[in-house]
Amino acid sequence: MNISLRLNGTPVDVDVPPHWTLLRTLRDRLGQTDVKHGCGEGVCGACTVLLDGVAVNGCLVLAVQADGGDIETVASLADGDTLHPLQQELVERGAVQCGFCTPGMVLGALEATRIGAAADRAEIRRSLAGNLCRCTGYTTIVDAVEAYQQRVANEVSP
Amino acid sequence: MFPRPFEFVRAGSVQEATAILAQDDGAKVIAGGQSLIPMLSLGLAAPTCLIDITGLELDGIEIVDGLARVGALTRHRELERSAHLRSVLPLAAEAAAFIGNPRVRNRGTFGGSLSHADPTAELCAVALAHGGRVVLSGPRGERTVGIEEFLVGYFETAAEPDELLVRAELELPPAGSGTAFIEVAERDGDFATAGAAAIVTLDATGTRCEHARVVVIGIHGLPVRVAEVEDLCAGEAVTESLFDAAAAAVERAAMAEDDPFISAQHRVRCARACTKRAVSTAFARARGEHP
Amino acid sequence: MTVADVKPSHRIVGEEIVRHDAVEKVHGRTSYAADAALPGMLHAMLKRADVSHARLRAIEIEQAKAIDGVVAVLLAEDVPNNRIWVDVPGQTVEVGALKAFQNVLADRVVRYHGEPIALVIAESEDAALAAVDAIEIDYERLPVIDDPVRALEEGSPTVHESGNLLTEWVLEEGDVDGALRDAPVVVEDSYQTQFIDHAYLEPEAGLAWLDTDGVIVIRASTQVIEHFRDVARILGVDDNRVRVIAPYVGGGFGGKEDMTVEPYLALAVRRTGRPVRMVWSRQESLQARQNRHAVRMHYRTAADEQGRLIAQDIEIVSDGGAYAFLSALVLLYSTTCAPGPYRCPNVRINSRVVYTNHTPCSAMRGFGAMQVALAYEGQMDRLARRLGIDPLELRRRNFVEKGDTLAIGQPLPTHVALPELTEAVEERIGPRPVPSSPHKVVGRGFSCNFQSYGRCVWLDDWSSAWIGFELDGSLVVRIGVPDIGCGQASSLVQITSEVLGVAPERITIHIGDSALNPLTGTTTATRQLYMSGNAVLKAATELREGLAGVAAELLATETEDVEFSPNGVHPAGEPERVVGFAALIAACARRSVPWQKLSVFNGPKGVPWKADEQWRGRVLPDFTYGCHAVDIEVDQDTGHVRVLRYVAAHDVGRAINPASVRGQIVGAVAMGLGQALSERVVFEEAQNLTGTFAQYLIPTAVEIPDVEAIVLESGEGLGPFGARGIGEPPVGPPVPAIAAALHDALGITLTATPFTSERIAIAIGEQNRAAD
Repeated sequence: MNISLRLNGTPVDVDVPPHWTLLRTLRDRLGQTDVKHGCGEGVCGACTVLLDGVAVNGCLVLAVQADGGDIETVASLADGDTLHPLQQELVERGAVQCGFCTPGMVLGALEATRIGAAADRAEIRRSLAGNLCRCTGYTTIVDAVEAYQQRVANEVSP
Repeated sequence: MFPRPFEFVRAGSVQEATAILAQDDGAKVIAGGQSLIPMLSLGLAAPTCLIDITGLELDGIEIVDGLARVGALTRHRELERSAHLRSVLPLAAEAAAFIGNPRVRNRGTFGGSLSHADPTAELCAVALAHGGRVVLSGPRGERTVGIEEFLVGYFETAAEPDELLVRAELELPPAGSGTAFIEVAERDGDFATAGAAAIVTLDATGTRCEHARVVVIGIHGLPVRVAEVEDLCAGEAVTESLFDAAAAAVERAAMAEDDPFISAQHRVRCARACTKRAVSTAFARARGEHP
Repeated sequence: MTVADVKPSHRIVGEEIVRHDAVEKVHGRTSYAADAALPGMLHAMLKRADVSHARLRAIEIEQAKAIDGVVAVLLAEDVPNNRIWVDVPGQTVEVGALKAFQNVLADRVVRYHGEPIALVIAESEDAALAAVDAIEIDYERLPVIDDPVRALEEGSPTVHESGNLLTEWVLEEGDVDGALRDAPVVVEDSYQTQFIDHAYLEPEAGLAWLDTDGVIVIRASTQVIEHFRDVARILGVDDNRVRVIAPYVGGGFGGKEDMTVEPYLALAVRRTGRPVRMVWSRQESLQARQNRHAVRMHYRTAADEQGRLIAQDIEIVSDGGAYAFLSALVLLYSTTCAPGPYRCPNVRINSRVVYTNHTPCSAMRGFGAMQVALAYEGQMDRLARRLGIDPLELRRRNFVEKGDTLAIGQPLPTHVALPELTEAVEERIGPRPVPSSPHKVVGRGFSCNFQSYGRCVWLDDWSSAWIGFELDGSLVVRIGVPDIGCGQASSLVQITSEVLGVAPERITIHIGDSALNPLTGTTTATRQLYMSGNAVLKAATELREGLAGVAAELLATETEDVEFSPNGVHPAGEPERVVGFAALIAACARRSVPWQKLSVFNGPKGVPWKADEQWRGRVLPDFTYGCHAVDIEVDQDTGHVRVLRYVAAHDVGRAINPASVRGQIVGAVAMGLGQALSERVVFEEAQNLTGTFAQYLIPTAVEIPDVEAIVLESGEGLGPFGARGIGEPPVGPPVPAIAAALHDALGITLTATPFTSERIAIAIGEQNRAAD
């Protein structure tokens, strides 16, 4: 079936079988390999993308269901080589080890921050419960998200 | 691994969806897909055709005559995060937060949850606790089914293969009521080991129970509305021993089975604890406290 | 100048530099094994056994082959050398076969649920999956062996013809029976740990192709590029006809130490001549690939009235699953570390690893030495309670010291920081928490451990590295190290920069390619910082020596006065009189002095175990010591545990990158807590039921609290600048720390992991009944 998407700001048309998930389509048809396949069950969060601004597991959305949608992956955040502040915090705080969970973690944390679901460390942890990490033990990730939120708060209030 | 091939149709209307269901017994409806797609990926289901109903106007919640009419496409995330919905359906809002993870909640729907009838589905327990009915639509027209009659068994509902759940109509408790949903799981977001949904109403004095309804998940192949709890709470003073009695009644109603990961005994143990805490919290909220 | 003379000025070693790979990873730009594709690429997928022990009466593949898009379906007879033999270290003919095998594809018998039977090669993943679905297998079921103790009984059905005992280590030092008889205090208990999955986020994957010279190139998520040799053996070609490349790996933890996709990719490329990709599903990874050994331990520990150990009598039975893989070595580590980091004059250890029809077990972070920590720490806590001595004080009275020898004959060559580590932890853990509600209680637990770094010395381990300047003064490091996320590559850049002065931004490191990099050995056994770090340090130091001579001439100074800095070389104390690296290299060229160096670092050697009871000797290079503390809160009604606070202290000798060190500690603690509380592979008649991430419960961000890592630097370690390895050591203490905390909170003694809410609730119930 033919579907049309906006992928990181660029319109694309792709012909994809109905049984293909958004994850498979992004990776194998559109070369968007910054979206990772971790489990295919919607548990690990490595395939998190924003669909019309809302975080979803790419493995639990059929590509055909995303027709007409606006997709943002982690690649949409940086400005060329200049990292998004959240990415900057993760890197500087040693919160990126093997890096496989990182793209999903970034988008998950970003969405949680935007909708105000991550107001303190406990809430940050809850909002990231669907982004599994096996390397870091999470402490530095929570540090980075908290620091990012501080930055955002400081920019907003003069 | 990933889903095997199937056909896909975007339904333009409820009639179109149910007409396809009537003709093709390999067809299934897909809305949020958060339960269905994992089953396809794990090879646990292999439909020949999926009918996408997300374009239909089946969302929205309206309050009409003491009933909350909840559209089938209401997303879990809305229930969890909308301040308005939290005030009109606090039990559903509290329960929705236990469903999976935020990504799953962004997509999963109320109608999907009820239709899938997972024995530990939080929203099935909520619907049963409220009482009311579901509205099913099919080639033979619309019909309503009481929620207790709708949830038939283990992943089984009273819907015919060619019917679509279009909304639920939940009875809202009267003023002076409190609700609470308590669940325990091994990790945050896991399928529940056990859980309890409680809706309680105080009498005019505010010290005795007028009604109490408790629905428990984890003690049977479907959520259980424990009738004995309602009987033993009615008219009683609201005390610690009442909460213990409710928990004991839940234990007597349990028909849990062992599975390789969690024993029946543990589910019942946790159900007791959840019941006691849900009932106690619900009464506190009925009194205007905010635990 | 020798390696020993190089003292870090802490210009860059000891700095928390941002890893270069972290930047690419956060962009999402890093190409992992499944991210690369080639035109004309085929897809390979395995058909696996869905029973745990059976003869293969018939395998029907014609239907599968007829599916549109299917190119080939391979069986065991299509593999040139289907059987891979491995040595079983320390084995004797009395015990069993001296070699163990595994099959690339099942040959007449399957011995575990998930064993590969057929290899499908197809134009698309959809066609491959359809073919896998279409393959029909006729099994003749065989008796299932799923209990390692019963498997050792007379008359038990066997997994292999050689019998169910794979390896046994026996040692006795002193007079254990006499000591047990006469000791004032003896405590005894049985302990048990469960099967664990590595559960890295990146499933096994790879892409392989034939290069223009007909060499098979395999780009796979692996911890060991040296598997090119095993692949060559399987294909029946010379070693130099196979090349393995390891891109950045999305987590390994020992699960990618054995081959995973490599042999199948090679077979598929050889068969079709086309590029082939293979990606395992999470479900395959969980269900069919090696686990951590489940271990049963029985300990009797004797002490005097002051709590000083007199005797340890230890029995270990480890479930190795259906094939040997690295089980014998894992058991060796268990045996070496079984008594714990405690002095004890009389020690007897009998350890065995047994074949069963469970999923084969092999390497996993901690490698046998972490499971025994539950037992040796449990025994110390029992003693402490029996004698009324503070648990840490009891341990202090028994800690090993530098210069000691363990019962097996293992010397301890470096500083043992355990006393300081316990003090650091006691100080940092803070005041006891208060329960958050009436139905909850809190508890605190401490534990100590030790874990080796560097491979067994009988294996003649070595590492090599090449460092060379470009003409413009930038620097290149070439070393075959796979980077699995711990910062291997970045640390090597830091070491190079420290010695040669070049800033990290001007150093490019090429890693993980068996054809283009000097080989450096496996990213396992907490050995890379030690071995590769020393290889790089050696290459950099030897290169510096040569360059310093030329620099001294250019600067008209003595060789010892030449300093290497980011801007170039200059005399000590005169940074403005600098000669840039490009000019230095040009000068070297004119004098025919090399500006590149290949160096080899050899690990310590040892004489392997001989099967007579008098053998004693060195097994491992050295150890890293640690002490942890945990505070927990337990829901008395449901048994659920919440970890409130965690402090972990280790002596790492020298922290090359302290942020990386802390990252390893916190990550390992999370993995250990997962083993303590929620993770387990569940079998029923050796059928692996834990096939999804929804069922295999690794900790999420909610289950792990803020973990505080305390990094001590004794300055003594066998690694570069006195560093010790840290990848594995912190995974051991969490399990016994939680056990201790549970006793502190509830008075219950749990000895079988995981300590699930159910097990805790049952123990609480039993204790309440006992009290009534």
